Amino acid sequence: MQCKEVEAVFEQEGLATLPEGARAHLTECSACQSFFSDLSTIVDLAHELPAEVEPPDRVWIALRGQLEREGILKTPASSAVERAPWWQVLGEFFRTRAMAAGAVGALILIAFALLWKNPSPPVLQANDTFADTAVLLSQQEQDLANMRLASTSTVDTSLRQSLQDVDEFIAECERRIKEEPQDNLTREYLSGAYQQKAELLSAMMDRGGSIN
Amino acid sequence: MTLGTIERSMLTVMGASFLLWPMGAAAQRVEKRFAVKGRPVVVIHNVGKGRIEVKSWKNSEVVVTGTQTSGKATIDTEQAGDRIDVTSAVRDVNAPPSETETNFQLTVPEETELQLKTQTGLIYVEQVMGDMTLESVAGDVHLKEVSGYIIVSTTGGSLICTQCAGKLEYTSISGSAQILQPALNNVKLRTTTGNILFDGDFIRTGLYSMRTGKGLVEVRFSGNDSFDLNAQTAVGTVDNQAAEFLKPDSHGVKHSATKFSKGLFGTVGQGLAKVELSSYSGIIRILKRD
Repeated sequence: MQCKEVEAVFEQEGLATLPEGARAHLTECSACQSFFSDLSTIVDLAHELPAEVEPPDRVWIALRGQLEREGILKTPASSAVERAPWWQVLGEFFRTRAMAAGAVGALILIAFALLWKNPSPPVLQANDTFADTAVLLSQQEQDLANMRLASTSTVDTSLRQSLQDVDEFIAECERRIKEEPQDNLTREYLSGAYQQKAELLSAMMDRGGSIN
Repeated sequence: MTLGTIERSMLTVMGASFLLWPMGAAAQRVEKRFAVKGRPVVVIHNVGKGRIEVKSWKNSEVVVTGTQTSGKATIDTEQAGDRIDVTSAVRDVNAPPSETETNFQLTVPEETELQLKTQTGLIYVEQVMGDMTLESVAGDVHLKEVSGYIIVSTTGGSLICTQCAGKLEYTSISGSAQILQPALNNVKLRTTTGNILFDGDFIRTGLYSMRTGKGLVEVRFSGNDSFDLNAQTAVGTVDNQAAEFLKPDSHGVKHSATKFSKGLFGTVGQGLAKVELSSYSGIIRILKRD
């Protein structure tokens, strides 16, 4: 075997059980010995890393609840244990700040998936989908208000101003959708604004302990 | 990339030098030099207030100069091969923002990738070729003669991009964007309340999408341009000052505004590029440059 072939064996078959040809090459080639040694060290170190963290159950519960509510999942899972209402579960979920923006994004995607699936959805259903997102964001904004620092730094001032701008824009779009529920252009703007608000709130919460 | 090359890269990173660069109690100016071999990647994370200025030269060396008004911050630098990380950290957590201001001045090889992040203060990049990600909360971003895949995101900061080439993405809430004399073939601009100005040529086969919530979108094209136009607004207005150059779209797809929006559709020249403009409640203005 040549060096490249041995390297390919490492890559494709791992280091645990080397074929005879590779072992023979290793006994003669100092470069490959060194390479093998380095790889072994890396593999050993990798084994010491913590195992991949399973997403918390509440993520799946929240998503399932949302999907069931929107009618995408028709058969509710059997609930031997009494479940909390979905909004409580989602509220809990939202306490994990890092997940907040992503969760709102997922909700918005679900909303749009529903709209694309059914181009002329019942007005009430479409409105409800956006309303859910709005409620969640409002809850998160309330959490932020409780922890908000009285900082007057340029950054915090800018973030607060931006939040106000986005809130005003969202209100404008919501009014429009109330009047014209089928206005897809406004819906696109509204979903983008919700996403922006989620990211903004997440950034502001992250700055909760920051000094600048 | 083979496992071997990954492994070797990891060893390089593991063997990277790590330098702590403390600032003294008073205002200081400190300079560090990093020799590089190929196209370096420079990462700057300015946790506080401060300006970042990047210019290029022909040497294979990155020079980082940091200045502070007080000594209440530190600057950490790390070089791992051609990657250079620079991070400013606040030493005195009780210090007001004005006293933790750190300004960076960089000189980099012409072909350099950049990842720059600051809170406030201008990000200025001139004559650099390479992909770059630039983030700021309240600071503006000024780019001059840069090329590559350029991603700019701000909360309130505006972008001025002069003679930029390649691909540009800009997202902001209240910031505005001015794209001047570009050679960009892919543009995506998004702002909620800011304005957008595109003054330059549309490259054939290029894709241009500019969207604002409440602001103005103004496009100034040249007589030689060739593009399909799709401009839409929900409750704003479309100000077409180029009616004589705009013909009906001849590419088979019939566009029309919905009953809920106002739109302008047409073709300039052969319609080789695609231009999409949108403003929810602002003005969309299209005009030909003199």
